[in-house]
Amino acid sequence: MMSEIQDRPRSLAAKVGLTVVLAGVGAFCGYGMAQLFKDHGAPWPDVLAVAMAVALIAIGLMSAIVLFTRPSTIPKGCGVLQIAVFLLAGVMLLLPMYAPAAIAPDVVFGGIVLLLATQTVANVMLWRRADEMLRQVMAETSAIAFWALQTALFLYAAAERLGMVDSISAWALMGILMAVYLLASIVASARRGIT
Amino acid sequence: MNNRLKVLRAERNWSQADLAAALGVSRQTVNALETGRYDPSLPLAFKIARVFEQPIESIFSDSGA
Repeated sequence: MMSEIQDRPRSLAAKVGLTVVLAGVGAFCGYGMAQLFKDHGAPWPDVLAVAMAVALIAIGLMSAIVLFTRPSTIPKGCGVLQIAVFLLAGVMLLLPMYAPAAIAPDVVFGGIVLLLATQTVANVMLWRRADEMLRQVMAETSAIAFWALQTALFLYAAAERLGMVDSISAWALMGILMAVYLLASIVASARRGIT
Repeated sequence: MNNRLKVLRAERNWSQADLAAALGVSRQTVNALETGRYDPSLPLAFKIARVFEQPIESIFSDSGA
């Protein structure tokens, strides 16, 4: 039996409050990035990885704010799992750069493996619990990212073999992969009206 | 593909969340269906028809027809 209750829109005060909170999260992320980048000697792969990590964590935090402040009549669905995946991805990108300052590298790597296993479980659960449209968005994201990356990788590899460009590290390639995947995810989601 | 989901839902005074719960999909999926950004699979189309107690062809129409 349906409830016959319309979604109750947020009040103006709630909308303004939410906007202020989201702007605060954005400002905090921007400040954090500026602090991290003030060391101009940082190599570009690290700068890219930090940018991706901050973007992923910011998306996760903003999604959490939206998820837990929207009307209770709207089911939370896969939102919690999506937030967990974003936050774990962001943390895993930061750990190889900043954790070794305080923790032994092998311990850091063990932690990364553990987090990656947790994120993999979360991703599998997300796929199993998602409805057909969300699964299609995930599949389209993977397809877009795969074709963009394999095309770029082939061109780069050919140029490198011909001695036209310098070699870049696996860490740099990982940062590029994350950036392309994030863009592909935005494109695939926007096509379905998911913002 | 065109559909009459929004009209049928409004006639019953259901929210998108209500319809999403009845169909077992997310509210975003109902919104994407109503705005024509997503065409449902055949099983979901049959489920929609059952929920509204109407034949599929009275809910969905080929935009090229």
